Amino acid sequence: MKSVLFTCVVMIAMCAAAEAHDVITTPVTWDREISRIFYSRCVACHRTDGSAFTLMQYQETFPWRTAIKEEVLERRMPPWGAVKGFGDFRNDQALTPEQLELLTSWSQGGSPEGEEKDLPPKDKLEEMMKDGAWAAPAPQPAHHPGSLAVSGDFKLVKPFKLDGLFPQSVPAGSFQIIAEFPDGRVEPLVWLDDYKEKYAHPFLFRTPLELPAGTVISGIPPGATVLLLPEEKAEAKK
Amino acid sequence: MTRAIFGFLILMIIVIAGSAQAPIAPLPSQNAGDVYICPMDPDVRSNSPGKCARCGMALVAGLPDPVEYHLHLDVTPRPVKPGQPANLTFEIHDPWKDRQVTNFQIVHEKLFHMFVVSQDLQVFLHNHPTLGTDGNFHYEYVFPKSGMYRILGDFYPDGATPQLITKTIFVPGPAPKAVPLARDYSPKDAENMNVELTTDPPQPISGFKTQVYFRVKPAEGLEKYLAAWGHMLAASDDLIDMIHEHPFIADGGPQIQFNVIFPRARTYRVWVQFQRKGVVNTARFDIPVKALGQ
Repeated sequence: MKSVLFTCVVMIAMCAAAEAHDVITTPVTWDREISRIFYSRCVACHRTDGSAFTLMQYQETFPWRTAIKEEVLERRMPPWGAVKGFGDFRNDQALTPEQLELLTSWSQGGSPEGEEKDLPPKDKLEEMMKDGAWAAPAPQPAHHPGSLAVSGDFKLVKPFKLDGLFPQSVPAGSFQIIAEFPDGRVEPLVWLDDYKEKYAHPFLFRTPLELPAGTVISGIPPGATVLLLPEEKAEAKK
Repeated sequence: MTRAIFGFLILMIIVIAGSAQAPIAPLPSQNAGDVYICPMDPDVRSNSPGKCARCGMALVAGLPDPVEYHLHLDVTPRPVKPGQPANLTFEIHDPWKDRQVTNFQIVHEKLFHMFVVSQDLQVFLHNHPTLGTDGNFHYEYVFPKSGMYRILGDFYPDGATPQLITKTIFVPGPAPKAVPLARDYSPKDAENMNVELTTDPPQPISGFKTQVYFRVKPAEGLEKYLAAWGHMLAASDDLIDMIHEHPFIADGGPQIQFNVIFPRARTYRVWVQFQRKGVVNTARFDIPVKALGQ
């Protein structure tokens, strides 16, 4: 009888304590750090009328705090699908180590809201959204004139100025695509990791790569198709 | 007697529930007024200016937006050959106008920290490229074998946030044979000390904090190395995650505690460095990490 009573009492006490608060153990807040990451990396999709549920406000984000941590640490979100630091892309949407650390600290530390005065100023908010994918719909490389569809190892028969890559049809999993130059050097192009065709975005180099004739593009699994995107000529951009 | 126990339990419930519902003392960032943050250890904050208790850096007011700078790594001569000197040049540009950045803050006594890890996780280097008159950082290195290398640059441009950027280099030739990693917590004899590892929890879980404890013997003569009681690099066995940490708790005694959140359920190779009597010790351990419920 005593042990039953004791167990009940302890359980009631634990429930009361658990419901009272998430204990705050982090100085990272939504208003200060986390909102800035979300506005530049997440709300392109996670917004009102977006393609996914909205995460614009603290109240909308808080219930998802644990799932958010898991998704970003597993690199499933943002849906970029490539390993950071293998190739250098001007449209890179992957989170930095610093951003991952902030999100993890916030999620694990009670996910505090902070103070409204710390939210980004409205003009800055618009700038941050433009910086992310918000205002940058992916081009349609499938219709890009001059693109080369590559499957398996592929040797260039003439020079090619490579502006980016578009995985048109690739299997799930992790594989590295590299360029082997005729002089023997090897350049990393992209390391696809759990890229999904529904992402449908290209990987655009910060600086186009000059590939001489004889360069071998290798690492694309047989049966998969990746488009090599040429640098757009100035006239075409106008 | 029974009544006394019951009364005590009721009292405990009231105390526990009451303490849980009491307002929690806000951490500095939740207070009104200025916040001063350590640029290197973002969790170290104060409401007044001063120095970071952990690394000694000056705390800075406010919080710059965490933007990523552009790090360009050039290696000459090309192609890189194993066993022959190669010149590594790190050029840094800002993310707004893509202009070259030449002003940097010192972090742990250096302007640039570089970590090199080979594809088979056998090669590890922590060293410091120097700033040249061209505004770039330079380092001469002999890659010992062919294959892929991941190179982590750790630097802090003026007016920004500290940057941790990974690059990839291929040394042409056959890729080294992959060595599967298994749990290795065994004590290690380093240069002039022995290093023991324990973790709490004993089985680290991905996405949750792991307290990583190192106990060094002998501890007498332990010194700070690059302004910290220790340095850690953890690399996942697939080389996707590269984590650079400093001790969470250390006081020059035999136990040094790091707090690490391993991102994924992989095995991580961990290199730790401690300095004793002027000698830098490097020890290596392998920590398997499981998913919750795995």
